[in-house]
Amino acid sequence: MQAGKRLLATVLVLALFGGALWYATQEHQGQQLQRPETQERRAVDSVTEMSGLVSVDLEPFFADVRVQKILRERKLPVRVTRVGSRDMAAQLGAAAMRSGGPAGGVADFYFPAGVLAANQIADEARKAGINATQTSPFNSPMVVASWQPIAAILVANGIARPSGERVYALNMERLVAAMLARKRWSELKAAEAFAVNRGVLVSTTDVRKSNSAVMYLALTSHALLGEVVTDRVSASAAAEKLAGLFKRQGYQENYVNGNFDDYLQIGMGKAPLAFIYEYQIVGHALNRSKAIQPDMVLMYPEPTIVNKFVLLATSARGRAMQAELAGNPELQRIAVEYGLRVADLGLFTAAVKPSGLAVQERLNQVIDPPAYELMSEMVEVLTREMAK
Amino acid sequence: MKICLKMTLLAGLLAILTACGRQEPSAPASTSTSHAAPVFEVLATSDLKDAQALEKMALQATGVNLKFRYGGTMESTEAVLTGRADAAAAWFANAKYLLSDSQGQSRVKLQEKIMLSPIAVGVSESAARALGWDRPEVAAKVSWKTITEAAGAGKLFYALSNPATSNQGFMALMGVVAAAAGKAEALAPEDVNRQAIATFLKGYKLIGDNSSYLSEKFIEGQGPRLNAFINYENWLLSLNASGRLREKLLLVYPREGVATADYPLMLLDEARREDYLKLVDWLKGKEAQTWLAQQTLRRPVNSEVAASLAGRFTHPGLLVELPFSPDRQLADGLISAYLNEFRKPVASTFVLDVSGSMGKEKRLERLVEVIHYVAGDDASLTGRIARLNEREKVWLLPFSTRPGQPELFEIPAGKRTGKGLAASPDSAAKLKVMAAVRAYADTLRAAGGTALYDSVLQALQMMAEQKKLHPDYQYSVIGFTDGENSHGRGFEAFQQDYAQLPEDARAIPVFMILFGDARESELKALVKVTGGLVFDARHTPLYRVFKDIRAYQ
Repeated sequence: MQAGKRLLATVLVLALFGGALWYATQEHQGQQLQRPETQERRAVDSVTEMSGLVSVDLEPFFADVRVQKILRERKLPVRVTRVGSRDMAAQLGAAAMRSGGPAGGVADFYFPAGVLAANQIADEARKAGINATQTSPFNSPMVVASWQPIAAILVANGIARPSGERVYALNMERLVAAMLARKRWSELKAAEAFAVNRGVLVSTTDVRKSNSAVMYLALTSHALLGEVVTDRVSASAAAEKLAGLFKRQGYQENYVNGNFDDYLQIGMGKAPLAFIYEYQIVGHALNRSKAIQPDMVLMYPEPTIVNKFVLLATSARGRAMQAELAGNPELQRIAVEYGLRVADLGLFTAAVKPSGLAVQERLNQVIDPPAYELMSEMVEVLTREMAK
Repeated sequence: MKICLKMTLLAGLLAILTACGRQEPSAPASTSTSHAAPVFEVLATSDLKDAQALEKMALQATGVNLKFRYGGTMESTEAVLTGRADAAAAWFANAKYLLSDSQGQSRVKLQEKIMLSPIAVGVSESAARALGWDRPEVAAKVSWKTITEAAGAGKLFYALSNPATSNQGFMALMGVVAAAAGKAEALAPEDVNRQAIATFLKGYKLIGDNSSYLSEKFIEGQGPRLNAFINYENWLLSLNASGRLREKLLLVYPREGVATADYPLMLLDEARREDYLKLVDWLKGKEAQTWLAQQTLRRPVNSEVAASLAGRFTHPGLLVELPFSPDRQLADGLISAYLNEFRKPVASTFVLDVSGSMGKEKRLERLVEVIHYVAGDDASLTGRIARLNEREKVWLLPFSTRPGQPELFEIPAGKRTGKGLAASPDSAAKLKVMAAVRAYADTLRAAGGTALYDSVLQALQMMAEQKKLHPDYQYSVIGFTDGENSHGRGFEAFQQDYAQLPEDARAIPVFMILFGDARESELKALVKVTGGLVFDARHTPLYRVFKDIRAYQ
């Protein structure tokens, strides 16, 4: 059972997580040339649908009729299947085995959330003798969605500082210290607007099941240790210390939008601070009228983590998709509508501006999460602590 | 073997992970209204009865043939947990109890919150004035602690649905526990202050298991001895709007102790995903959200609709939520302690028809079997409610041509002390009484006629005498019959004699079970006189009916 739990945690983190290894992965671009030129051209021109496995975050983008139309016009019609990022590597492996050789049965592209999931897929592809090239057309940083009165309290207590109009930088080290000291909101300076007895806590999704909460664990462990954790002993010690930040939240929603729904729908009394992907709130702001109330503000943890969406192409058509997503300004504009950042940062900021939501354009302090073995160790410790 | 286990775990995890993702609803599909569309059955908690009109609206707007099937919170939770919901989806006021369990999570493929309604304390205006709660600055400071004190001081007498079977009742208890512990987060069984619960329950006057029943009873009984109603905001606002109250209710939202129902619609049957997404998309759209807000007075989750209806809902300032403790030991311990220790103990007479017709169709065997369950060891979520609880008194009164001799069984109290909620096994003394109840049931034989009114009247008289001697019990009569009255008093004589009973006796509700060839109209007329409800066991398993009734006792 212990081994089983350990495996669960490992798989979870393996699949969810990524970071430093991203740039280390070789793209094997040159190997593309192994295929005959003619075959490649024919494949690209084909009008039969290509197949792609995409993470839940990207499914709405591919389901958008405008995206489908553009891709059809570019002779890249696509049928996507939503698959958990962590499930993709296993699916690729199984498909490669079934088809008894490279490419057959394998999707044209895989589009997971997070670099680690991407690396797992790349490893699996390598084992199956398939070339998988990687690009990252979209990304989204982790943010804390909050409220003007809460931000003012945190500023008064030196935990946050304004970094622009209605945008704040969140000092993670001080926030974590306050949370670990079990500070209540009512004990903070100038807390009249939220003088409640509840402890200062950030609401997350369930760390045992959800990627964004794992990102929170990475950021809080960094704040606690002052550096990215690099060994097992300090990883598990950090996780033990941090367990309260998760446990004390009480019931946590276990679906991706759970804590964000609470923030939006119930409000400050339920979720004064909600840890989310930036795309969640930006997408919401851009798709619904009156979605953003005037007192909703974003805080950018210092440092934060930028979650990358990695497109792995395993065929010529998959590679054409990579080029299309990287080069087609219309597709990029649509991706921005779903809250995603694209290479052209100006496109993103210009789109967000009229929504009433203020975002931090440039992120100065960005870290990579710890290596996946260590994250796995930490999630395992937390799982144990939370069962107590 | 080991690998196999790992693979199973892995598959399970992946299934959960995949299931947890929220999907953006797709564009609304064709608006054809084919009646041949397969039924999309939704198991809904009974407080959603006011939303039944959605069935028709959904069919027209989405082509999805939506049909609700209603049940109590615990009963429905149990059905989903055990995989016996037999429905495409479930719609609960609050699913946190279900979803804090990994088994529960695995049953739910997708979930989406549809609307909101915070639990509030509706206080009769005169009582609110007496308490000072009519002043907004005072009301803003009323916490579950203040409410507990008012109940303890004999100033607040409230209606509330059963804490063991409903979300409102349970969350109210959690609010009391959290306020008394002085901590709102990570409550554990050892934080429970037993005295606070006992004090709060001093004000518990009207018990029941669904909001429609409680609303009717509250309208009848509102006065100095019943001056508050703890329920979802929407039910309280509806009562105020109904014009049927003697005086309006002032809504108080407990400070730092608000529990908001968020009505997640949960997909259970993966094969119906497409219909589910259509429904969710429509339910969160402008038309349905506006209808729900205007007709059922629940707060919309659609920000646009919320903005357009701003001002419709009372704005008492910031509502700070009570975090829900996922600690199952706390939840289950609290329910068990409520039933066995804190609640006013139940004293009731089971008036049991053993006339000759009970020999048909194994009717008597079915009745005896139910008594075996009630006096047995069913530890399921609903079983623990049906079961005889500690301190409970039950008289079994068999009748045929005339009323038989009532036989009293009294379940002894358990031993508990101090703080916390340690689970305690049944005592030997309790088990002995339970065995005696079962043994008694086994002696029942079917013969003779049906003296229904004589027997019910005798039970009421006996309960009234007991109530005089031991007022600290919750009295009721459960009547069970499989045929028409054939001996003894007729209905008119019963009515006359009933009118002669003292007021205290007439306050005792009679719950009638309709079984076999019993006449529905006869029983309905009876409970109209006595107060109470008729439960139909002709098409529902008898044990399930008993479980339902137990939630009203």
